[in-house]
Amino acid sequence: MTSNQSDEPPSPAVLIVDGDIVSRHVIADYLRHCGYAVVEAASSAEAMIALREPTLSIDVILCEVTVVGTQGCFELASWVRANRPELEVKLAGGVEMAAQTAAELCESGPHLKRPYEPSAVIDYVKQLRASRPL
Amino acid sequence: MNSNTMSPEGSPSGRLRQSILVVEDEFLIRWMLSEELRSAGYHVIEACDASEALSAMKAVRPDLVISDVRMPGPLDGLDLLAWVKENLGALPMIIISDHLHPEQALVDGAVQFVAKPYRFDTVLEAVANGLAGKL
Repeated sequence: MTSNQSDEPPSPAVLIVDGDIVSRHVIADYLRHCGYAVVEAASSAEAMIALREPTLSIDVILCEVTVVGTQGCFELASWVRANRPELEVKLAGGVEMAAQTAAELCESGPHLKRPYEPSAVIDYVKQLRASRPL
Repeated sequence: MNSNTMSPEGSPSGRLRQSILVVEDEFLIRWMLSEELRSAGYHVIEACDASEALSAMKAVRPDLVISDVRMPGPLDGLDLLAWVKENLGALPMIIISDHLHPEQALVDGAVQFVAKPYRFDTVLEAVANGLAGKL
């Protein structure tokens, strides 16, 4: 959960919206490693549920632009501007841009450091995708 | 590199955590269950349906799968269970359902059945049992 029982302030939370489980999870883990709370949505519809859920605290949205759903990232960004203008929306086209955006978030994140280089993220996603045929 | 995580360097501490694939189409249920499992120290992979779960398992092998039964798309949780038994036979799988008879899931090969609505303690105990049975 993004709430925190201790006196420490809660970790800033990133909502990652990506229809590819491999890239979504690898990027999400990367962000968790540098101290963010992360919420994973597989579609824009799931992202909307997250954004409307009062117990879920979101600070930044990272949306992969090919995401499926009734709304794509651009429509999601428009909705956020109109309804949740305090939220930052970062659009990423492909895993390379998503990894770089995640790395930039880590630069200013709770731990102020990257867990590893974004190139390792990209390489790992490519490796996992290549290994998919069982 | 860890073979059972989707992280190129495993956990931040370098300790290999047991990896659980959670398959649930209801977003808030999946989120809550996944966060509870992370709080308990597990590495969690979240899949929104059986097709995503298959994609994940073709890339990395988790230590255990927790799956709902009714999900949108061409495959349901029992189809996933059948695929796991055929392709990853030793992989423990917990079936969670609000309508299935426990015996059906167990006959189909699940190692544990948890009825909805569930207490998280019940799921955690089933996970521990499933992982212990594998060791």
